Amino acid sequence: MIAFTRRAAGLALAAGLALGASLGFADRASAQTPMSSAEITKQLSEVTQFDPSLTAQVLQNMAQRAVQANQPLPLDQSEIAKRLAKLAQIDVQIQFALNSAVIRPQSYAALGSIADAMHHPILWNYRFLVVGNTDTTGTRAVNLALSQKRAEAIKEALVNLGKVDPARLDAVGLGQEALEVPSKPTDPINRRVEIFTIGTMSAMPKPLQ
Amino acid sequence: MKRHIMGLALFALAASAGGASAQTMSFADAGALIAKACGASIERFCARDDIGTGKVASCLQQHQKDVPPQCFTALQQAEAGTTARLAAQKATFGLCQDDARQFCKGVKPGDANLLDCLLASYKVVKGACRQGLTDAGWAN
Repeated sequence: MIAFTRRAAGLALAAGLALGASLGFADRASAQTPMSSAEITKQLSEVTQFDPSLTAQVLQNMAQRAVQANQPLPLDQSEIAKRLAKLAQIDVQIQFALNSAVIRPQSYAALGSIADAMHHPILWNYRFLVVGNTDTTGTRAVNLALSQKRAEAIKEALVNLGKVDPARLDAVGLGQEALEVPSKPTDPINRRVEIFTIGTMSAMPKPLQ
Repeated sequence: MKRHIMGLALFALAASAGGASAQTMSFADAGALIAKACGASIERFCARDDIGTGKVASCLQQHQKDVPPQCFTALQQAEAGTTARLAAQKATFGLCQDDARQFCKGVKPGDANLLDCLLASYKVVKGACRQGLTDAGWAN
C-alpha cells in the first residue's frame, strides 16, 4: 500500500463549492442528484492513499467466483469493502435502458461532468476505476454480466465522447455483489456506478525554476 | 450525409484552428445540449445504440428526415465546443508561461498547484493567459 498525501488547497476556491468538509463514503446516498464537475473533481482528488493490489481484474475474479459457487460475497463487511472505502470516490446514478448497457440521454450531462472533471489539471495525472453495480432484481449471473457491460459502456463513452485517455480508465462490474444498502437489496439505490481514484499515471513533475 | 459529416469535420477544424479564441463548451454542457435537442429522436430511433460507440450519430443521420434539424446543429456545436475546450486546455499553460514564471516561482507542479496559483493571480496575469484560463473552463 502506498501512502500518499496531497493538498486540496485552492481547488475549493476554483470550484466555488458549497459542500461539507468531508464528502466521502458516508455521503454516498445523497449522490442521487447529478453532481457538477467541480464536485466530482473535488471528491476524486481527495486522495489519501492508493491500493495498488486492488485492480479491476482482482475485483472481477472475486465477483465471478462468488457467483459461480453461488456463495454470498458480503462486500459490505469485507476487507475489500473497507479498502475500497478508503479510496477517493464518487457515486453516480447513470440511467440505462432496461436490461441493457445503453446509456439514456438524460445521463449525457452527468457523463460529461465526469469527463470535465477528468480533464481538470488536479486530476490530469490520475487513473480511475469505473465500477458498475445492480440491485438484486433478476439473477446474480445476469446482473454480474450486465453490470460489467454497463461499466464498460461508461468507460467507452468517457473515452470516445469525453476524450479521456483510455489508459486512465479501468471498468469492472460487480453485479449485485456489493450492495449499497444490503438491508434493501431490491432498492434502485443499489443500481449505481462508482468511480474510484486508483493511482497516478506518472511521477509528479518537478517545480518551476 | 457525406456532406454533413465533412461539414462537421470542417467545423471542428475551424474551432480548433481558432484555438483559445474560439467559443468553448464543457462536456457537461455538450451532453445536456445533445440530450435536449436529440434525446427524443435517440430514444425513438436509436434506442439500441450506445452513445459511446459513435453509432448514435450515424443512426440519427439515417433517420435524418425525421430528426429535427436542431439536433444536428447541437451535435455540431457540441463537437466544435468541446474540441475547442480541449485545445484551450492544452494551450493554456503555454500561454501562461511568462505569468507562471513571474507569479508562481517555486510552485510545485501537479495537483493543479500551478493552476491554483494562476487563478490566485488572475487579475494580474496577461490577457492571453487570462483568456486561456477562461476558455479552458477553469477560471470560474
